[in-house]
Formats: sequence, structure tokens, C-alpha cells
Amino acid sequence: MTDASLPNTGGAPKSGSLHEIDARTKKRNAAEKRFRMYGVAAIATGIIFLLVLLFAILGNGLGAFQQTFISVPVYLDESKLDKKGNRNIDDIKKVSTFGYNPLIQKAVLKAVVDAGIETPLKKSKDMKALISASAAAQVRQAVIDNPALIGQTVEFRFLASSRVDGYLKGRVHRELLARDKNIDAEHLDIVDGLKEIGVVKKTFNSAFIFGADASESRAEQAGIGVSMIGSLFMMLVVLFLALPIGVAASIYLEEFAPKNRWTDLIEVNISNLAAVPSIVFGILGLAVFIQFMHLPQSAPLVGGLVLTLMTLPTIIISTRASLKAVPPSIRDAALGVGASKMQSVFHHVLPLAAPGILTGTIIGLAQALGETAPLLLIGMVGYIASNPPGGVIEGLMSPNSAMPAQIYEWAKRADPAYYERAWGGIIILLIFLVSMNTLAVLLRRRFERRW
Amino acid sequence: MYDTAKLGTDVNQNETKISARNVQVYYGDTHAIKDVNVDIEAKSVTAFIGPSGCGKSTFLRCINRMNDTIDVCRVEGDIKIDGEDIYDKRVDPVQLRAKVGMVFQKPNPFPKSIYDNIAYGPRIHGLAKNKAELDEIVEKSLRRGAIWNEVKDRLHAPGTGLSGGQQQRLCIARAVATEPEVLLMDEPCSALDPIATAQVEELIDELRDQYSVVIVTHSMQQAARVSQKTAFFHLGNLVEYGDTSQIFTNPNDERTESYITGRIG
Repeated sequence: MTDASLPNTGGAPKSGSLHEIDARTKKRNAAEKRFRMYGVAAIATGIIFLLVLLFAILGNGLGAFQQTFISVPVYLDESKLDKKGNRNIDDIKKVSTFGYNPLIQKAVLKAVVDAGIETPLKKSKDMKALISASAAAQVRQAVIDNPALIGQTVEFRFLASSRVDGYLKGRVHRELLARDKNIDAEHLDIVDGLKEIGVVKKTFNSAFIFGADASESRAEQAGIGVSMIGSLFMMLVVLFLALPIGVAASIYLEEFAPKNRWTDLIEVNISNLAAVPSIVFGILGLAVFIQFMHLPQSAPLVGGLVLTLMTLPTIIISTRASLKAVPPSIRDAALGVGASKMQSVFHHVLPLAAPGILTGTIIGLAQALGETAPLLLIGMVGYIASNPPGGVIEGLMSPNSAMPAQIYEWAKRADPAYYERAWGGIIILLIFLVSMNTLAVLLRRRFERRW
Repeated sequence: MYDTAKLGTDVNQNETKISARNVQVYYGDTHAIKDVNVDIEAKSVTAFIGPSGCGKSTFLRCINRMNDTIDVCRVEGDIKIDGEDIYDKRVDPVQLRAKVGMVFQKPNPFPKSIYDNIAYGPRIHGLAKNKAELDEIVEKSLRRGAIWNEVKDRLHAPGTGLSGGQQQRLCIARAVATEPEVLLMDEPCSALDPIATAQVEELIDELRDQYSVVIVTHSMQQAARVSQKTAFFHLGNLVEYGDTSQIFTNPNDERTESYITGRIG
């Protein structure tokens, strides 16, 4: 690589045939070839790792989009659910989910018997391990919504318990059952039998995408939908704060501020802020927004504020870069016809910089969307987001989780069913990030102006 | 040089439009313009010539205070237009620039339609009451810029899609659309081919009947062709200023003679 500094050997250049490649040229060509090969090797390694990652994510996570359901007709016994028989909604509501469990278990047992499956499990209580704990609440809600159902036999589609689901997905193996207190081999025999007649079925699980998180013991019920809403509200806060503040700050710094030691200092520090670990912003948010300003914990508003602080430097840096890229001749032209500084910026420079600003903003948002560390400190991790918010105010102020926080939370939980859900959550998060980045690239392609 | 022959009959010959007294310009510590005194006549073309870096563009940009946009730039001395000091505290540079239009070295149309390029100035200055008036201004300006016939059928096509010479004439039309009294041109033909240059030069000659035109140029032939007065700058000094015919045929200063004969520069 030092061929530029080789000493001149002196004398007139030897005139050789062009058909013979001299030693020096050979060496140079070989060096170039080697360098190209390093490049190809590096890219190939990168692609291999990317593929491994992609396969790992898809292989582990796609299962989360399917869920096992058990469809059985349930007899809604009047003597259990409405002892007075007057369909008074208040009396019906007094029956808790414990009152419904026996009915459901009985219904499952009946389905097992009807299917003619030989099993030592004769008691309806034995069916508990097959059905998700959420089933009772599901039936109770249906009855409260429509008390006329009492006394009838109604077909319900229940979530199977996470072990049954795991068995159908190949996560739960018969050999390992000895150590599992939740389910026995006999249960799995029943599942096999019910699967054959279509009572137990694995189908697409929209509740994973749109549903809420569930408690630790109900992995089969957990969904990422509510934390998605939490993330959405945070992104709204970031967009509405970081974009105007960031763009205004960049315009001021780039176009109006005098160039002196103070603005240099500000500039250096904005670049430094972009490199500050996000957890530092988290603790700042905890100290300022929660402890000092007494904003609610775990609220997307606080999360959004913290992520705004984190995104601002990114937006300011990219906005300044795109303002700088607008040729000065456009500013001169505007000033030359008597536009004021502000008119020249807002009529000409800003519209030309807009694609770059948008791209930077979207990439900043994507970065904020995937950020977990600051959310740890303001309490958005570990919160079980069980109900979607009722409105914008509630969405901003009431506790919620966010997608990456939810994924982190799932990955921590003991039930292996949550492991699958964590990977599934990553797939959804990646879909968001990839589509945001694609949008940024498309915007740039569409509106970029070449000078 | 035949153009300059009729100078003697010009009725406006002695009416001064711009007068500069003891003008000094500093870029930080660099003394870029040293003590320039010059009187620029109304309704005539004045050319600034000189080697690169001699300060002619800098001085030109002082006349409409474009140098204000450069932080380190400092201007001292008096520049008066119609007897009013343009560096007075009461003067708003924005208002001044409406009165003193400018055409730049590189054609710099806005990346908008031809129509909007011309209409932008009148719009921000409120020169038109309605669309019809604005249309009229646009047409008039494009005619003044000698480009109307080429673009009248595509007024809403982007201005950046025109050829270089057309773009420069569009910029001139844009500059005259705000009805300035002085037109400053900073090497307007340096990016153009000879044919486009000839068109622009012809245009400059026509503009003389309404505006005071000050043109910076590297081409001595161009200065000789279009101007009535010529100022020769060298190393920040105004070396010589006089009738173009006199400067090119009988310069008083040795440096001027060296420059126009090609020995320095």
C-alpha cells in the first residue's frame, strides 16, 4: 500500500511492450483484487448474519401468530347462573367467573365423551388443564351482554391453555411431561383425539396483534395490541414536539444565529447529545417529569417526552444537514428580489429541505419506537397493559406499555409460551421499523432534487 | 466600441444615481476594498473590470447590501443612492433590495414555475392587486427580459428546465419585475455560451433606457461592448474610472493599460 512513496529509480522510463504486464502493475492489480475480495467477503458475512437473524426471528416468532382454540357447546345452566330466574342483570353479575368454570369443564368433558375418547380422566375438573383461564371470563361476558342466553346451549370458541397450544406447536413434548405439573400425558391423548374431530384447532390469532397483555399464567391470551397503542401515543407526542421544536431550532441555528463561540458550543453539544446513552434520558425523565413535575408514572405522555429529548438531536442534525444542502444561490436569489431573511427561508429554503427533514424525522421516530432503556426508568416496563385506553387523554395519561417494553417483559417471563410471543412481538416491531424506513427512502427518492 | 460613441448625446450623462465615498470593506481582518470613490450615472451601463479577487463583486454587493448576509463583512464609508445613505440605520435592506435588483453569476431560478419565478417579487412586495395585474406584470417582465416569446406557451413549466441562457434572462426578468431603479449584474454571462451572451448583452443595452445598470465582468470585450463607463479595480483599489472609450483607448494609469493589454490579470 506504499506504492505512492516508492523512490524514483531514476533514468528514462523503460519502454516495454504494452502486451507485457510489468511487475509493478501486477502488484498493484493484485492489491486492488485483494481489496475487492475483502469487500465481497465482508458483505457476504453481513448477509449471512442477516439471514440467520431473519430465520431465527421468523422461526421462533411466527408461532405466536397462530393459536389453538377449543370449540365446544356450553350449556348455560339457569340454576347456576341465575338462581332467582328473573334475568336481573345485577343478580347475574354477582356470579363470578368461579361460577362459570364448572359449566365449561363439564362441556369439555361432554365433548370428550361424545368423541368416544378412552381416557382415565373422568371428572370434569380434570379438563381444567386444557382450557385457558380466560374461558370463564369470556362466557361470563357473553352472558352479561345477552342474559337471554341463559338456559340455552351455546357454541363457544375457547383459547386452549398454553401447554395444549405448545403441544400442537411442538413446544411441549411428551418426554418432558414428568417435570411439568400443569399437564399430563392423558391430557395430551385427549387433545390428540379432539384434534382429529376438529374440536381442537390451530388458527390465525388476531388477538395477538390487537389484544392486550395478560397475566403471567395466561400466556395464550396475551397480545401486543394495547402496547402498540401505547407506542402510538408516544410517537404522536414525539412527532408533535420533536418535529416543530427540532426544525425551528435548526432553522434558527443554521439561518439566523450569529456564528460565534456560543453557537459553536451549542452545535458541539447537540452532536454530543445524540451520542448520550438513552438510559440517561430515562433517568432525566424520571427526575424531571415524574419526581419534579408529578406527571403520572408509566404514562405514554412521559415516555413520549423522554423520547422527544432523545430524538431532538437526531432531527436537528438531519434538518441542519438538509438546510445546508440547499445551495446558497437560492437564498441569494430570494434576497436579491427583496425577500426578507425569513421569507427566503420559509418560501424557498424550507420547502427544498423538506424531504430531508421528513426523512430525518421518520428515522428519528423509528429509533424512538424501538427504544427500551429509557422506558425502564419511567415504569413502562412490567406494567400489564390489559385494557385499551378509552380516549386520547386516557391514552396519554393512563399507564400503558410500549412495544419494545412489552417484548422485554415477555422475554423475562417464565412460561415458555411467552418466549414465542416475545419473538412474535419482534416481528411486529420490525414490520413497523422497516415500513417507516422504507417510507423515508421513498420520500427521499420522490422529492429529492438534484442540483 | 461604437456603442460608446453616442455617449456624448446622452441627456442623462451627468445625473448621478449612486455615489460612493471612501468605501472600505473588511472581511474579518482582510481589507478587501480600499477607499473607493465612484459616481455611477443614471440610465447608463457601468462596467467593473479587473482581475479575480480585486474586489469588484464585493463592491457590487455593497450597493444592495447583500454583504450584510456575510457575518464577518464590515462596510465603512458612504454609499448614496439618489442622495440617500443606504447604510443609514433607518434603511431596511429588504426595501433597498426591491429598489436595487440583482442578477447573479450563475443563473439561479427558483425551482418553481416560470410564472412563479417572476411573480414572486411582485407578490411579496404587493405590487399587484389581483391576478390580472400579476399576469400583466409577468408578461411585461418576461418581455423586458427578452424571453417572452420562448416561454409564453409554458409559463407553468419549471424554470430550472430552461437552457442556461434562458435561465439567465429569466433571472433578469425576475429582477426587473419588482420595478427596480438600479440593476446590479455580477458576471451575468460567465456561465453562458457566446450566443446566449450576445442575447443577454443586447438585453442589457435595452435595459439602459430605464435602469442604471452596473455590470461586473471578466471579459474586457464585453465591458467595451455594453458599457458607457468603466471602472478598473485592482487589489481592492479603484484604479481608474472613466468613459469606456477612454479607458480602452487611452488609459491614464499604467496598471489599467497593463490589464487591458493582457500583461497582468
